Amino acid sequence: MDIPHWQKHWQARRDPFAAECRQARDALLTDLKQPALAQRRVLEDVIDMSAGSVHWREKGYSAVADDPDLFRSLLPVMRYDDFVPEIQRETRTKGGTLTCSPVLRWLKTSGTTGVPKLVPYTLHWLLTYRIPAMKAMWGTYLEYHPELLAHPYATLDTQTVREDVFDFVHGIGHQAISNRHPQINSQDWNPPWYESPWFGPEVPSGHEGRMYHRIRHLIGKDLHYISSINPSTLISLRELLAQHGDRLVRDVRDGTLEGRPYTEPDAEGARRLEKVLLNRDFSLKDVWPSLTLFTCWLSASAGLYAAKLEAVLPTVARLPFMSCGTEGVTTIPVDDSLHSQPLAVGQAFFEFVPAEVPLGDLVAAGEQVETLLFDEVEPGRDYHLIMTQGNGLYRLWTGDVYHVDRIVDGTPWVHFVHRDGIFHSFTGEKITESQVTGAIQRGLAAHGLGTGLFMCGPRWAEPPYYIVVAEVPEPSAPLDARLSEAVDAALHEINIEYASKRDSGRLGALEVVTVPHDAIAAYVESRRQQGNATQYKYKPFQRDVDFVAPLTRR
Amino acid sequence: MIETKRPPQNIRREIAGLPVDGAELALHLWRPRGPVKGAVFYFHGLQSHAGWLWEVGPQFADNDIAFYVLDRRGSGISGGDRQDLPDADTVLRDYITALEHVRAAIGDEVPLSLFGHCLGGSFMAALMHHPDFTTRYDAAIFCSAWLGKLHATLDDDQRHALATESGTELWDAGLRSEDFTDELRHRHFIDNDDLAARALTRRSRGVLLALESLYMGSERPLPPVPAAYVSGVGDPIVDLDDARATFRRMTGSHGALIQFATDKHYLFYTDVRARLVDWASTFTLLQGLNRDA
Repeated sequence: MDIPHWQKHWQARRDPFAAECRQARDALLTDLKQPALAQRRVLEDVIDMSAGSVHWREKGYSAVADDPDLFRSLLPVMRYDDFVPEIQRETRTKGGTLTCSPVLRWLKTSGTTGVPKLVPYTLHWLLTYRIPAMKAMWGTYLEYHPELLAHPYATLDTQTVREDVFDFVHGIGHQAISNRHPQINSQDWNPPWYESPWFGPEVPSGHEGRMYHRIRHLIGKDLHYISSINPSTLISLRELLAQHGDRLVRDVRDGTLEGRPYTEPDAEGARRLEKVLLNRDFSLKDVWPSLTLFTCWLSASAGLYAAKLEAVLPTVARLPFMSCGTEGVTTIPVDDSLHSQPLAVGQAFFEFVPAEVPLGDLVAAGEQVETLLFDEVEPGRDYHLIMTQGNGLYRLWTGDVYHVDRIVDGTPWVHFVHRDGIFHSFTGEKITESQVTGAIQRGLAAHGLGTGLFMCGPRWAEPPYYIVVAEVPEPSAPLDARLSEAVDAALHEINIEYASKRDSGRLGALEVVTVPHDAIAAYVESRRQQGNATQYKYKPFQRDVDFVAPLTRR
Repeated sequence: MIETKRPPQNIRREIAGLPVDGAELALHLWRPRGPVKGAVFYFHGLQSHAGWLWEVGPQFADNDIAFYVLDRRGSGISGGDRQDLPDADTVLRDYITALEHVRAAIGDEVPLSLFGHCLGGSFMAALMHHPDFTTRYDAAIFCSAWLGKLHATLDDDQRHALATESGTELWDAGLRSEDFTDELRHRHFIDNDDLAARALTRRSRGVLLALESLYMGSERPLPPVPAAYVSGVGDPIVDLDDARATFRRMTGSHGALIQFATDKHYLFYTDVRARLVDWASTFTLLQGLNRDA
């Protein structure tokens, strides 16, 4: 029988991919032993790539080329929004404005105002930083679990996708970093499974459809490893198996995929699967007894999924995903530590500011900010992170706060604590208070209502969702339903990650419960009068939903 | 020559500011990080500018070619009045300055091709015939350029009237993106490019005529370098037969006619883009051969 193209690709890429990952991990380990050298190298590279840019010339920053030590005194700490005018110019020149490398893509991620950001994805950044970071992380996974390359069905990679792009900015694709399609050149991300039928752009682009294809292709195979970024993806995988169990059993029995001929009928496999799914509490390990590893974020709010992951993937080993965002990579796992990773000193030039400093206010006021370098941070303390990446976004205040766990060979080991200004994030949606406020205002206004007092909190359920209690003149259940829909829709528009998670069923619909005027004020007052609550004051955004029952009797 | 056994390479994309006659002109460059083995200087057409070449520049650079594009005065991100050409001398002086800069940057050993697209081909032909243009070039490529269009489409009286035109009202060039490409992405880009010039002042058309006259009536022989006229098999904007006739008259036995398999005007926004860049790269690099060594 002819070997399918995707399997030939898998065979051809297996060894080179493993070698590239090993090499990248070795380079990372070398950097971690000489972090000062690595940081110097990155800074010099950034200067080399940007000193000749239009922006640096216009601002007089090019002087840094002669004296790199001027970097922190000459260039200001920036927020994304501060870069927007230059980014707008760059969309037209496609390179040369912020950095001397061609912009290949614009990476899409939520902005503070609901307008998606445009993070420049340059050729230099791809070749020198982003792809090596991915390979280094996979090098660690391979080091601990070589079975993930045991055969073409051994790995289910959900951390990257290949989707056709339909959104362009002056001709250049605007897409999520996780979308590695189309391949830019042979140096772009190219794992052995790149051509696998459950990985390519022919797979449905909706979460549920894509997930079903992945499951169908891999059901009955010796799957060893599931890779994801958010733990919610793994939970969702199990939920979709339960939800579409009948369809899946039928497809396996008939040798079909969504009713169309796909492979040989497998009556025995269908019976086995049916039996597993009969148990309401089945785990992914029951579906794939061969599972030995899963990876995803395990720290900060992702850590709240720990118990659920234990139930869905019992006895399966876990490794963490790197700490990263669209804007760049911060840490890369080098061993099986679950909650701390070394600062990726070869990925960016890092600066830190103690978390207690109101960095946002200082930056907004345009004040000079004193920063610490990697060798000046102390274990046990939290810091704002400022990073300079090789894509032209220099001294970017990320809003991320990291905790320094320890120092190893001079390199800080850190973990992500929270996002400054972020109200909550169940699964990477990173909702800000202003986004929720904007959505509530829009939803109420659509019904002719002004915005009064409200309280909002994250409710853990399956799936989790946000709940808002809002004061209105005439509360009612029908109004609750209409407002719930309107506010959810508004948040859907304002935050694209929220939209994505809602569309894929990883987040439930936001719920609004209306209460009469003064209800929240009375609640706040009652809390103030309780015991040690003299400090209690009205805060619209809560870390839990304890306020819901007393306010709504629900 | 092109190193055929290496993977794709990192390249640089730079924008230099050239101060010329009271304006800062943007000279765009895509180049390999390693040694430059050849150079191409590109003359853009009426509405386009360097920002149209984001796929082309990197491929030239990956082929070890330094690819230069001058945003003409008033175009792209260069200074100067929009939709209005200065006199022919100023236009040509800008190009002379930019090409002197390019030759100085790449050195004498590196072969340099001139590449003129559409109306850019007319600017290029005028420059090639101008006595003050003395920078050495090693090959010339005209791409989808209607050389001598105004001479072909206007009679003597009309040309005389145009030559004395001083009006500043705008003349719409009538360019339609569907004539350029049938790729939706590129059409969307063209239709929404806020840097594109789609109209010219009437007096600017007189400048275009003056530029044409420099090569249509010139007796000045061109340097004996290889030249090519490149187009699709058809072109909805250009009368290819007329343009090729002018090209052959201009280049004689040095000229070659090349066709790529498209019937659209802007070859770089069609399936033939990569092949055209590779062909132009090879055409350029071969001029660096030292056959007397």
